Amino acid sequence: MPHSFTVNDRHVEVDAPDMTPLLSVLRGPLGLTGAKPGCGEGRCGACTVLVDGRPAVSCLTPVALAEGRKVRTVEGLAEPDGPLNPLQDALLEHGGVQCGACTPGILMALTALFERDATPDEAAVKESLAGNICRCTGYHKIVEAALAVAGGNGGRS
Amino acid sequence: MTRVVGTNARRADGEDKVRGAAVYGMDHGVTGTLQAKLLRSPVPAGRIRRLDTARAAALPGVHAIITAADVPDTTSGWILKDQPMFAREEVRYIGEPIAAVAAETTEQAEAAVAAIELEIDPLEPLTDMDAALADDARLIHPAWESYPMLAPGPRSGNVAWESTLDRGDVDAAFAAAHLVVEDEFTTQRQHQSPIEPHAAVGRFEGGRYVVHSPAQFPFLVRDRLAEWLGVPASKVRVVVTTIGGGFGGKIDAMLEPFVCVLARKTGRAVRLVNTRAEELQTAGPRENARIRIRTAVSAEGEILGQEADTNADNGAYSGEIVACAAVPGLVFGGTYRVPVARYRTRVVYTNTAPTAAFRGVNGPYAMFALEQHLDHIAAKLGMDRRELRLRNVVKAGEAIANGQVLDDAVFDEGFARIEEIAPWAEGAPSGNPRALRGKGIGAVTWLTNPGPGGATVKINEDGTAGVICAGAEIGTGAVAVGLRQIVAEELGLTPDQVVILPADTDAGTYDGGAQGSRTLFSLGNAAVQASTQVREQLLEVAANLLEASAADLELDDGHVRVKGSPGAQVPLAAVALTALHTSGPISATGRHITPPVQFDSGCLTGALFTGFATPTYHVHSAEVEVDRDTGKVTILRYVVAQDVGRAINPQQVEGQILGGVLQGVGYALYEDLRVADGVTLDASLENYRLPTAFEAPPIDIALLDNPWPEGPYGAKGAGEPSIIPVAAVIASAVSDAIGKPIRNLPITPFDVLAALREDGTTEGTTR
Repeated sequence: MPHSFTVNDRHVEVDAPDMTPLLSVLRGPLGLTGAKPGCGEGRCGACTVLVDGRPAVSCLTPVALAEGRKVRTVEGLAEPDGPLNPLQDALLEHGGVQCGACTPGILMALTALFERDATPDEAAVKESLAGNICRCTGYHKIVEAALAVAGGNGGRS
Repeated sequence: MTRVVGTNARRADGEDKVRGAAVYGMDHGVTGTLQAKLLRSPVPAGRIRRLDTARAAALPGVHAIITAADVPDTTSGWILKDQPMFAREEVRYIGEPIAAVAAETTEQAEAAVAAIELEIDPLEPLTDMDAALADDARLIHPAWESYPMLAPGPRSGNVAWESTLDRGDVDAAFAAAHLVVEDEFTTQRQHQSPIEPHAAVGRFEGGRYVVHSPAQFPFLVRDRLAEWLGVPASKVRVVVTTIGGGFGGKIDAMLEPFVCVLARKTGRAVRLVNTRAEELQTAGPRENARIRIRTAVSAEGEILGQEADTNADNGAYSGEIVACAAVPGLVFGGTYRVPVARYRTRVVYTNTAPTAAFRGVNGPYAMFALEQHLDHIAAKLGMDRRELRLRNVVKAGEAIANGQVLDDAVFDEGFARIEEIAPWAEGAPSGNPRALRGKGIGAVTWLTNPGPGGATVKINEDGTAGVICAGAEIGTGAVAVGLRQIVAEELGLTPDQVVILPADTDAGTYDGGAQGSRTLFSLGNAAVQASTQVREQLLEVAANLLEASAADLELDDGHVRVKGSPGAQVPLAAVALTALHTSGPISATGRHITPPVQFDSGCLTGALFTGFATPTYHVHSAEVEVDRDTGKVTILRYVVAQDVGRAINPQQVEGQILGGVLQGVGYALYEDLRVADGVTLDASLENYRLPTAFEAPPIDIALLDNPWPEGPYGAKGAGEPSIIPVAAVIASAVSDAIGKPIRNLPITPFDVLAALREDGTTEGTTR
């Protein structure tokens, strides 16, 4: 089945059965391996992308549901040869990245949050990460980075 | 004063990671590569009667199917070499590889796996340690005596390995005791569950096997492949990808041998990635254990002697648990003064998935048992629990149970720092006045893994530095930022002027792997040694250019300068270029090994770790509240005092502590990889419960500055140990809150409610 939608503002057409996970389409024919197949069952959140601005676990999102929609992935957060966006930069500044496998999903979940609410508090940040597992960092430095972007005091110190 | 060391420099791999550009093992060969799947044993024990791949091999897209018949009849392992690549005649656990398929697509490979005809005559499965240790138990490895070993150790039948520590007249101590206290504890399996599952891409080129995988210990993977594939180690090259988390689970080889053989058979690159279910059910977790411990104490609470017996579940084949079999004894007798001790650990074969290293290998449950046991002793003596610990904890210059003297122990400072942050007699604020409140505190000595390493440092012709080593960047930043900072400090550069080649066994010197906090300690030392030589080479060339004596020169800001003569300087690039025509390219190699621990060598058997090399000291405290209606445990406050020698990058060290503590919280309260009748029940992250952002408690950190003279810039290992005390102090705190002992992990709400409903409950001491 042909499907057309945009990925990071670029129009794409792919031919895949309707129920093919969006993640497989992104990582296979579209060659975007930023979203990670951490669990393949919607539990870890490493494959989180935005579909029309809302976070979705792409491993459980059938490609047919992307039809005509705007899909955004971690690769679209900053121009490949341009500077990092504020969230990306803050994660590095605050030490919120270790192995980094969860990072693409964390960034997309936080992006959705910040597009809804530019000054979230700690509870809102944690709420937005409810579907994202990070096994390395213990989350504190991720939350700290997000609060720094929100213009807070850099989170709990 | 240091310029770069001690700062929070950014990691070199950070930009790629936040852009989604980093290439992990799971990202290699997503397209244009054959995809592989494994046929795994459906039963815990049996003999293979029939294995026919003919029908499966004829299916569309299938390029090759391999079984035990296609590989040498060898067994491999790190210490105890008992594991075949494929089950040959006998299967020993559910999930054991029996065949591997390479096909055009994963779906085709799965279809072929399903079409392989397999018949197994079941054997009586021995799925728990008691069954395996029974006098008349069937031998899980009938040929156990024939297995090769890296180092000899006591073994017998279903006891894969035994380690003992026996020092002094224990019986006399017990006979003279004011009080003898005895306890038994059991702990569960805990799965490492990195976000990235095990993955490998293999190629066969130039008559050699080349494998790309997220390997923590690439040289171990190389050696294991050589053993399984029946080739010299030089015929294997392991290239380490970006690693999406490991925590010990990616130390040993796992999927690498299958893609190597399939690549040779098909002439194509072959990729194999575990599903999450395969990951949970076959990628070795922390072992479940049963600990019996008995202590003789004086009326004043002084430990007079101790004995402990630990059974650790090896699963069907041996990984790192045999290597660390002495660790429980070292934990029992390594922190509080135990003048005479008798400890035994048996690593027991069962027909379950093999267990393996998980951060703090063998340590967390030993400390959990010891600290609950100390609480029991304190209760019997009517003594404050913290006071009991302070009376017994070793001081600098005192010996521990193996005879090792801890010259630089800083436990007193650790307890004092915690007291400043979270006084023992004061409670943290709580929003739930009805909740039961409790506190726990405990201490442990840990080590920096003493494995060898080496690093080559060179000056590039643009004045930057290159580092070639085989240190795997597992995510801690040890290589991606710490090692860069050390080389930058040494050579007057900025960290981003230091480029480190990703680990590759063809390029780097032998390296003992990303394990036991050793990477930055060992490679940092090697890099300092190499940099010292590089510096001499630079100064020698620059001395001619500057017409000055080398003794008067210094490296700073990318230049060689004449001390005290501003302007008299030459850029490193010019020195490096000049060297091409005078001394030859500027390059040197350093190497490192930690000297053996000095201990009473007569007291230990079966011990690959004989003591605490480059010891570190840790004190943790927890305060919890327990909801008496739901049994829910909430951590109100958590404090870590950790000796890291000196922090090369304090932010990264804090990151290790925060992450390790949350993994420990998971072990204490949530994570339980359940095995029943040989079946690992938890095959999904839906029921294998990893901590989320909501479970991350407030954590205060006190880094204890305790520079180690033999460490790079005073550093000791820092990555591993923060996980170890967590279950111990949380269990103490919950026990304090509910007035009942905690003897098993994890502490679920159901366990808490059941304990609260037991007769004779004395509800929590609200301190």
